Amino acid sequence: MAENQGGGGRGESAGDKAREEFFSEAQEIVDSLSRDLLALDDVCGRGGSDAELVNDVFRAVHTLKGLSGLFGAAMMSGLSHELENLLDDLRLGRIELTAPVLDLLFKSVELYGRILAAAKGDAPEPASEVKALLSALGQVSQQRGGGGNVVAQYELDPGLLGVLTEYEEHRLRTNLQSGISLYRMRVQFPLLTIDSALDDLKAKTRPHGEIITFLPTGEGGDTESVELEILVASRAPLETIRGALAGPNILIEEVRRRDVAVSVESQRTPSPQHAGTLGPVAQGSSVEQPAPSMEDLSDDAQTVSTGVSAPPAIPSAPAGPTSAGKGTAAPPGPDKGGRELTLRSVSQTVRVDIRKLDHLMNIVGELAIVRSNVARIAERVRREFGQSQLATDLHRLHRSFDRHLGQMQNGILEVRMVPLGQVFDKLARIVRQISREHDKQVNLVVTGAETEIDKLIVEELSDPLMHMIRNAIDHGIEGRDERMHVGKPPVGTIALNAFQKGNQVIIEVEDDGRGIDPAVIVASAVRHGLVPEAEAREITAKEILNLIFEPGFTTREEATALSGRGVGMDVVRTNIGRLGGVVDVSSEVGIGTKMTITLPITLAIISVLVIEVCGRTFCIPLASIEEAIAFDETQVRTFEGREVMTQRGATLPLARLGKLFELEGVRPGVWINEAAATPKPPEVRPRQKERSYVVIAAVADRRVGFVVDRLIGQQDIVIKALGKTLKKVRGFAGATELGDQRVGLVIDAASLISEVLASTTDARVVGILNPANAVEGGRA
Amino acid sequence: MKALVEQKTEGRSALQRADELGKRVEYLAFMLGPEAYAIAIGGIAEILKPLPITEVPRSDPKIVGVMSVRGRLVTVIDLKRRFNLASTFTMDQKSRILLVDVGGEPIGLLVDEVFQVFRLTDAEIEPPTVLGSEQPPYVVGIGRPPGGAVLMLLDLSPLLQSDLMD
Repeated sequence: MAENQGGGGRGESAGDKAREEFFSEAQEIVDSLSRDLLALDDVCGRGGSDAELVNDVFRAVHTLKGLSGLFGAAMMSGLSHELENLLDDLRLGRIELTAPVLDLLFKSVELYGRILAAAKGDAPEPASEVKALLSALGQVSQQRGGGGNVVAQYELDPGLLGVLTEYEEHRLRTNLQSGISLYRMRVQFPLLTIDSALDDLKAKTRPHGEIITFLPTGEGGDTESVELEILVASRAPLETIRGALAGPNILIEEVRRRDVAVSVESQRTPSPQHAGTLGPVAQGSSVEQPAPSMEDLSDDAQTVSTGVSAPPAIPSAPAGPTSAGKGTAAPPGPDKGGRELTLRSVSQTVRVDIRKLDHLMNIVGELAIVRSNVARIAERVRREFGQSQLATDLHRLHRSFDRHLGQMQNGILEVRMVPLGQVFDKLARIVRQISREHDKQVNLVVTGAETEIDKLIVEELSDPLMHMIRNAIDHGIEGRDERMHVGKPPVGTIALNAFQKGNQVIIEVEDDGRGIDPAVIVASAVRHGLVPEAEAREITAKEILNLIFEPGFTTREEATALSGRGVGMDVVRTNIGRLGGVVDVSSEVGIGTKMTITLPITLAIISVLVIEVCGRTFCIPLASIEEAIAFDETQVRTFEGREVMTQRGATLPLARLGKLFELEGVRPGVWINEAAATPKPPEVRPRQKERSYVVIAAVADRRVGFVVDRLIGQQDIVIKALGKTLKKVRGFAGATELGDQRVGLVIDAASLISEVLASTTDARVVGILNPANAVEGGRA
Repeated sequence: MKALVEQKTEGRSALQRADELGKRVEYLAFMLGPEAYAIAIGGIAEILKPLPITEVPRSDPKIVGVMSVRGRLVTVIDLKRRFNLASTFTMDQKSRILLVDVGGEPIGLLVDEVFQVFRLTDAEIEPPTVLGSEQPPYVVGIGRPPGGAVLMLLDLSPLLQSDLMD
């Protein structure tokens, strides 16, 4: 039974598996779609446009359409179809990329997410919304208008114009309309090196302008070389272009306007088929890359069902340098080798269910126990049997085992790590949406998106972060007029910073809004009965800020429709706490608010300090330990019944772990030795302890010294969640196997520290210690 | 050899006879203090000898603690305390832990002693109402196997499910 469950769905049918793959692939595409849209929004906001990004979005939607068709997701494929039409119009310049159009695109990303959730059975189908969006999309498509016939004013060979694809023509028209000069280059390329030479030329041209098209001229070449005519649009004057691109076989001239406009309308044959006739040359242009064909898709379907990852559509279309604005998460696709038509997967990635990694990690944990047993046996062999040669061999074996096990453990951990950018990208979308809803202008500045953290943590982070950002926009950032009035820039800024600090990852959400007014907080807390009025006057600034994390806290007078959604900051703190992290807040009225989340890097394997108190063994995560020092009873001072000591000039609150866990005076329970016929109660430690220790734990800027009886040592452990029955017991993050089949509880330092510090002002906290747990003396 | 074959046929005919008497369900009988209980054996994944159990401070008194069974964490519940049959906790060499699955989570049930498996026919099970009209829902009947034993038959899954919920 134990084995069956760890395997992570080995028993699923192939169909289920393919479906799973479909979901994760579709999700990936939707995520990258969202990233591209954000980049597009950014470009659009600055008054520009990025053809390559529009292409990326188009390709993503096209792939989604194919995928959803394969899996019979009708709603998704219908939506994709309409979107594809819209994007095609955008691509070809038939409609303008305006804010309302972008809104529709963002809306569809959101709907994709909900359709996927619905298909998994997590949520109802957003049928009416999809319908509404479809009709809105239809309306936009009807508004398409044509561009002016500016192309005809230039001295261009009608033959050349005739073979331009609709897309190339659109690019040409757009460039000319914005008054950009057009240059014609004739370049001789040796046939042997044409690929690399063309790449070189493209790279050299790019800083100066855009290559519209290139075609063989059919003249000037011989058996070993070919002449291409290249159209380049550039703002630079002819001399600059000549200077940058000059070469022996290159002839550059400017295409001038005609004096008399001659219509080339009749010669247009806007058929994309022509791109195909150009063969590999056109493919290499990187301007138009055909969207994945049906062959590609059926190839995907095969790999899906065999369980090997199909390449996600976006990275499989390496888009050249214009894709620099995209997210960091895209795997590096081969840039040059991908040109030949191949059925091989472009990306070498394998998508893995995180449960399988958990399973592997558990096995590593088991092996770690085997390892320590081997060490023990080696020691016994040496001591008891005097077999020093054998012992040495065993030791050597053990060391090698140890080293490889460590490598394996690190390898698995590395696989679990993903960049925080995954969640930050989603947040950027939320910022855009909320700021539009509130009619506030907000600029999100992200740093450290590449910071890596455990996949499971990333998943759990999105909701709390989203809530914090909502709060920042809703309560923090002022309206435009108010900001102008107090002399702030009209556009508000929310900074999302992430960085690693030792074994912890810090995420900051900082806004330059109006800050948290302590008076408002206190008044509100008193009104909601969270703080008695008498106490309200003595409360410290830090405590006031922490009031926002109290369940039931709200500032009604400021709240809008968004805040009444029933998710408060207390939920944020609880969720972060579940991940072993803490949230802190600092704020200055009129200047801004900063929320800081401190998280462990990984949940899977952690280093702990094994300690003993009242005969029981506990583990404290090293990540939250500052140091452990010898305990000197004479150093203890008492303030209002609370024990503190001075350490390096600072006051350190103390907590006796035995007392905190109500273990003092209670005989240790059931450490049953399996060899013992009758379990003997372990000896009760003599009252006078020879020496105790203080383990100084710190999470964020809060420190508490835990008094323990003995330090046993440091160990790397696989942490396992406690069962549902024990979930509500506070103070433990999980448990682990310590060897000898013994289970050691892992202390949740963050929650214990909060508990200890909370009890300084609030004696009621004692109530959470279950009084029913006062174990009877007759135990064991 | 011959004896063995005989025994086998005899066994099979006994089985056949049993089938004629009606459908039989296998129950594992165990002791909680002086009282005999039984649960359907299909729900039991494993019967474990006492392993080291780590108590969890601040947990519900009915919970003995956690133990590791081949790498999986198992929460052990003291059935005697769960049924308020005892307020103290005892464990000795006869104690056994019945491993059951509750909503995908392994739970260990600490019992004082496991004695045997009974194959009970419908005819050998009395309805719980013989003990009075108000019986807890987890008591599904009274088993009266041949030989005079009296077993309280339990279905623990609703009980344990609700334990997990709160």
